[in-house]
This record gives sequence, C-alpha cells and structure tokens, in this order.
Amino acid sequence: MLDFIQATSDGVLFGATYALIGIGFTLVFGVMHKLNLAYGAASIGAAYAGLLILGAFWAEAPAWIVFLGAFLAGGLIGWLVYVTCFHFIPSASALATLMATVGMLLLIDEIVVHATDGLPLNYPALFSDVMLHLGDYYLRGDLLLVFTLSVLCMVGLLALLYRTRLGLATRAVAQQPIAAQLCGIRVARVNAMTFVITGLLGGLAGAMIGASVGALSPLLTTPLTIKGLIVTVIGGLGSIPGAIVAGLLVGGFESVFQQFRGVTERDLYVMLLLFVFLFFRPGGIFAAKGGRD
Amino acid sequence: MLELKSVSRHFGGVKAIDGLDLRVREGEILGLIGPNGSGKSTAVNVITGLFPPTTGSIHFRDEEIGKLPTHKRLHLGIARTFQNIRLFGQLTVWQNLWVAQNSPEDRARHGFFGRWLGGQKGVRAEIGELLEFSGLAHKQDELAANLAFGEQRRLELARALATRPKLLLLDEPAAGMNSEEVGQLRERILRTREKGVTVVLVEHVMELVMGVTDRIAVLNFGRKIAEGTPAEIQNDPLVKKAYLGGA
Amino acid sequence: MDFYYGLAQIIGIHTLLGLSAYIVLLTGQVTMAQAAFFAIGAYAAGMLTVLAGWHLVPALGVSAILGSITAAAVGFPALRVKGLMLVVATLAFGEGVRLFFFNFDYQVAKGEVKVGPLGGEGFRQIRFFPENGWTTGEVMLFIWIFAIAALALLWWFDRSRYGAVLRAVGEDELAAQSVGINLTAVKVSAFSVGGAIAGIGGGLYAHYTTHIEHANFNVLVATFAIAYPIVGGLSSVFGTVLAVIFVQGFLIEGLRFLGDWRNLLFGALIVLAMNVRPSGFFGKRRA
Repeated sequence: MLDFIQATSDGVLFGATYALIGIGFTLVFGVMHKLNLAYGAASIGAAYAGLLILGAFWAEAPAWIVFLGAFLAGGLIGWLVYVTCFHFIPSASALATLMATVGMLLLIDEIVVHATDGLPLNYPALFSDVMLHLGDYYLRGDLLLVFTLSVLCMVGLLALLYRTRLGLATRAVAQQPIAAQLCGIRVARVNAMTFVITGLLGGLAGAMIGASVGALSPLLTTPLTIKGLIVTVIGGLGSIPGAIVAGLLVGGFESVFQQFRGVTERDLYVMLLLFVFLFFRPGGIFAAKGGRD
Repeated sequence: MLELKSVSRHFGGVKAIDGLDLRVREGEILGLIGPNGSGKSTAVNVITGLFPPTTGSIHFRDEEIGKLPTHKRLHLGIARTFQNIRLFGQLTVWQNLWVAQNSPEDRARHGFFGRWLGGQKGVRAEIGELLEFSGLAHKQDELAANLAFGEQRRLELARALATRPKLLLLDEPAAGMNSEEVGQLRERILRTREKGVTVVLVEHVMELVMGVTDRIAVLNFGRKIAEGTPAEIQNDPLVKKAYLGGA
Repeated sequence: MDFYYGLAQIIGIHTLLGLSAYIVLLTGQVTMAQAAFFAIGAYAAGMLTVLAGWHLVPALGVSAILGSITAAAVGFPALRVKGLMLVVATLAFGEGVRLFFFNFDYQVAKGEVKVGPLGGEGFRQIRFFPENGWTTGEVMLFIWIFAIAALALLWWFDRSRYGAVLRAVGEDELAAQSVGINLTAVKVSAFSVGGAIAGIGGGLYAHYTTHIEHANFNVLVATFAIAYPIVGGLSSVFGTVLAVIFVQGFLIEGLRFLGDWRNLLFGALIVLAMNVRPSGFFGKRRA
C-alpha cells in the first residue's frame, strides 16, 4: 500500500508535464481543429536548444536559466512549426497539415540526433537531493518543482485565455473562425500566437522532463508524443481542464503500472487505459458539447 | 403512409419539436411550413433517423421505425434532400447517382459482385433516365463540386430519386432559386408524384408551397398549429399570427 | 544490377504498405495502424516458413488472412472514434503491437540451433529465399507480382461502384447514410482489405530482410504508410506508387550524396511537398 501511494504521488507530480503537453495538443486542436504532431518533438527539441545554445555562451549556467532557455526556445520553435505547417497550407487540406507536422517531427528529431551524435545529454535539475518527508511517504523536491512550475504555467495560460484580449480573440476564433474574422480579428495572428504560447508551454515541459530524468535523449520524443496524445484524447479534444486532469491521471497510472509490472509492460497498460476510455467515454472526460448538427 | 405520434425531440433544454402529430397519406404532396426555428428541419431529421425521437413513435407503413438507423430507413423507402446541399463533390454527377442505388430492387439485381465490382454498363439505362429527368445528361462526367448552383440542386433531387423512394422529404429545395427555376422544380415534383412517390415538402417559398401541395401542415415552436388545404391555410388566423407576429 | 534489384524490392514492399493505407484513407479514416498489420504479416509468414517449414506462398496467404482479421477487429471500434482521435487510437494500437513483439518469445529447436522470435532481439534466420536458391532478380519479380496484383485490385475498385462508395463515405458520411450506404460495412471492409495487403507486404518484408525485430514496425513505418498515399494524392493509386519511388529513391540514392544528412532532409522534403502541393502529386481529380 505504501508503495502504491508513493508511486501514485510521484506519478501525479510528474504527470504535470504530460498535462502541459496535453494542453498544447488540445489548445491547437481547439483553435484550429488540427493536430500538431510535431509538438512532442518540438518540446524536447526546445529543451535541447535551450541547453546547447546556452551552453555555447555560458558554460555553467544555473539551472533555472537553462529552464528559461528551454521555455523561450519552445516559443520560437512553436512559431516555426506554425509557419512551416499551418500558415501556407490551406486550412481545408487537413491531411496535408498533418503530414507536414509529421515532416517537422522527423526534421526536429534528426536535428537533435545530428547535434548530439545521438548520445544523451546531462540536464540540470534543481532540488534533486531534497526530500520532504510526510510520515512514511516522501515528496521528491525536484518533482515538486516540476509540478509547481507546470501549475504556474497552467494558471498563467488560463489567465491569458480568460482575462486578456488575446485570450478572448483566441476563444472567438476557436468557436467561429469566419465570424471572428468578420469582427476584425486577425485569425492568422491568433493562430500564430497559439503556437507560440503552446510552444512556450512545451518548452517548459521538455525542460521539466529533462530535469526529472536528469538527462535528455532523442528517444524521449516518440513516447512523449504518444502519451501527450493519449492525455489529450482521454481529457477530451479541445478541453484544457480535461488535459490537466488526464495528464495527472496518466502520470499517476503510469507510475503505478511501472511499480507493479515493470518498465517494459508499463506502456502497454497506458495504451489499455486509452482503449478503455475510448470504449466507455469516447468523447473524453470533459467531452466538448455536441450540437444539433 | 407515415405517422408521427406525439413525437418530441429535445436538445438539452431546447424543445425543437414538442408533441408533434403528423400524418402523411400515400400519394399526396404534403407541405410543411412554419417560421424559422419552428422545428421543420428537425422533423425531417427525426423522420430520416438522424436523431432518435426523445419521446413518441414514428410509423412508416405501419412499421415502427424509431429505432432504425438512417440507411435502413432508406432501404424501406424514405429518402431526403438537404437544405444546404450535400453532394459528393469529388465524385462526378454520374457517380453521385450510382452510389445512391441502394433500394431493395437495385440490391436484388446484378448479384453481389456485379453490383459492387461491376462496371457502369448494367445501370446505364436507369441513371441515364434520371439524368434526362433532371436535365443533367450533358454534365454526367463533371465533378459535382463544379456544377452551377441550380444544377447542384437538381442533382440533389436526382440523387434522392436514384434511391427509388416511396416517401421523399424535400428540405427547402427552392432556397436561392429564381422564379423560372421554381417553376421547373414544381414540374419535377409533380412528375415525381406521378411516378408513385409521396412527397413532403419543407419550404419557405410560398409560391411553390401553395402551388404544388395537396395539404399543408404548419409548425410553430415545435408544434403543429394548423393543417389543411392551401386555401384554408392561407386564411387561417393562427397561421397569420405565427408568421406576422414576431417570427 | 543487384543494387537496383534490391531497390526495386523495397519499392515493391513499400508500395504494398502504401496501398494498404490508401484504401482506408479513401473512406476518410486516417490510420496509423498499417505498420501493425504489416508486423503481424511479417512474424506470421516468418514463423510458418521457418518453424513449420511451409512454402512462402501459403504462408503469405495466412499473413493476408491474419492481417485482414486484425484490421477488421480494429475497424469496428474505430467506428466509434472520430477524425483525429482515430489517428491517436491507431497510433497507440500500432505501438501496442510493437511492444507485444518486443516481448514475444517463441523458439523451437531445429537440430542444435534454436530458431524463432526472441523478444527484443527479434526474429533471425528467415532464410526461405537463400535456402531455396532464389536469385535477387527472382525475389524482385516475386515481390512485384504481389505489388502489381494489389495495384490492379485497387485500380479496379476505383473504377467500380465500391470505389465510388468508399469515396462518398470519405467525403460526407451523413449524405452517404441518407442515400442508403451502410457506413459500418464500408469502413470495416476498407480496413480489412488494407489489412490483407499490409499483411502480405509484411510477409514479403520478413523474407526480404531475413531478420525482423520490433523496431522495424515503429511509428516511422506507420508514418511512411500514410505518407505515400497523402504525398501521392488520393485520386489515383499510381500516385502512391510514384510517392514510394520518390521517397525510397531519395532515401536510398540520397545516401550516396547526402550521407547521414538524408534523414534530415527527408523531413524537410515532406514539409516542402505539403506546402507546395497540399493535395499530393495526383491532386484533386480533374480540377
């Protein structure tokens, strides 16, 4: 029982990173009704970019500056993905944009492999030796940081969406892109900003994953992409609260599966979780409301 | 032929149709009119099986069909056209009609392989006839998406007829048409009835409704408020109030 | 000459992979599961020829059947999942199958040696072709017989009512239902046919490369499967073949000029292709 609760709490804390990735997928889907399959790779890529670029100028940069580097790199990469995959391709060609994001996923993956010769890189962590003890359980300091920073990001995002004009414009475009345009909202700009914002979130997620594992490796991209997508689907495509809850849920489950069945079977169980959800609640936890049409 | 008994369809809190009783007699052309939001399109959607009714029953030729999926209702003989045209844009005119040949009669001929994997020869006659009827023979190899608006409307109708319906529901087929086109539509509806098809016409264009229907049912707020011949409906005070009073 | 035979072999196998996705994509279902059916076909055919001593042709028949049945099993629940969620679900399924083979052990002793799949190490010594004295040229022809058969089949579908119905479902499910088309039958049948084609492709792949492992059936392969019909355009089967030739030709020939960088440029190439021709080589039909 102790193990179970410990595994769950560790998993839920780490799950905040999945929640961020899930939010990124779901926000782009909500605003543009498209999937950005490059997102997972872009997030890890941003962590790499932050680390390597910073490392070229400032050898022993403090951890939080490295995190900031990843955060900002994420925004830039997000914008790049927007321009290469969504800006020029007509919005009606859904397959073309999907394929283009896959192309970007492959491109980012290869750039990372080329830049590092495929070897893992050490990534700084904060508070990795700190443990908060609560009776028989303990909370890892680094995971707490991951959780806290991720939550701060989510709060920031929600504030942006619900308290700023950009957020209002974004929600308008998500609901009625043509009407939004007719009201003078520059849809292309909103779309670009959506990618920048999700890119920032993704960059932080990438940094946090690197921080909890202690290293970055190109092998992280595929599992992260798949888990992020699973989180998005379980949470409900287009629902940010759904992505948050689902992210924590998947993080928790994954950790428990790993505790009791080992690493190799863990991913199989996460997929089973997806299929269970698809069977019983295909719309996700917070299904978007269906209309009359 | 078709009977709706106390049919309601709710969407959350909205009662799109509420306790609707409707009878369609075989061989007639029934008009279904009412202000916007009165539930006409919802009625068509419920009859064809897009949504199940929240309450009430629907009988087609004495058979309860409320639980049947849309394509099975088509096999029984209920076909429809759409208010906003839903053609298969990337298929040609000919192919749009070809894929619609799903009536029991068509399924019985040719056998499985002939029907699915055979070429176009076996059905050239029937499809040719439909093309002639709709004035689209010269465009048979054109992609549906490239047709002019009036031609697309004619194809919608032709495609519904390709299913050999016994009951045909037309959802605002005259929207956007000029007088001449409306006149041609009227002719086609009458000729369709002559071939033995019962027609329900949902429409706003009064010129068409008054000129082609045998009876009219009027809906408002999801309920039937009047029913009768075109002459009776035109003089009905309730109907006038519904249309003029705040609709 | 052997080099070109080898290139033709891989093009033939990938044509089967691409065509398996083509027919499913016509119905509007974006599937990332084709690599999984490919894998099942590969392991099945390999096990039958190596462990049970079967001839390759009946083994391929079993691959086709297994691929088809699994695909149908995926096709039914896929009906409940809409649009982009299907991408995720099939992606997860594909990864699940890969993980299954990663953990799959089934070894049999042949003389002193143990043969058969061994988890992460994969399945070695699938030597039907060399053991039976096939030349590279003969293998190439053998592969292409199947590739051409699949091409011919799908080309015939495209000209028949079935093909038009597939596309009608892909365009507008509501309208399709309303004219009496049974969506379930159409969508699941497309998956089944695709699964059979992928199964045969996988069986051929296993014997072409003589050693298969879980990593040969990963997300990248699943991506290739749908990339071919998307880049080639959905209006004609020949678009898919052209895309395979283009991609494989680039990747293999590109090795000569670009070395390691060709993988990098491959991603960039796809992005470029989608921006320049969003509807693929053979784009919209007769615009």
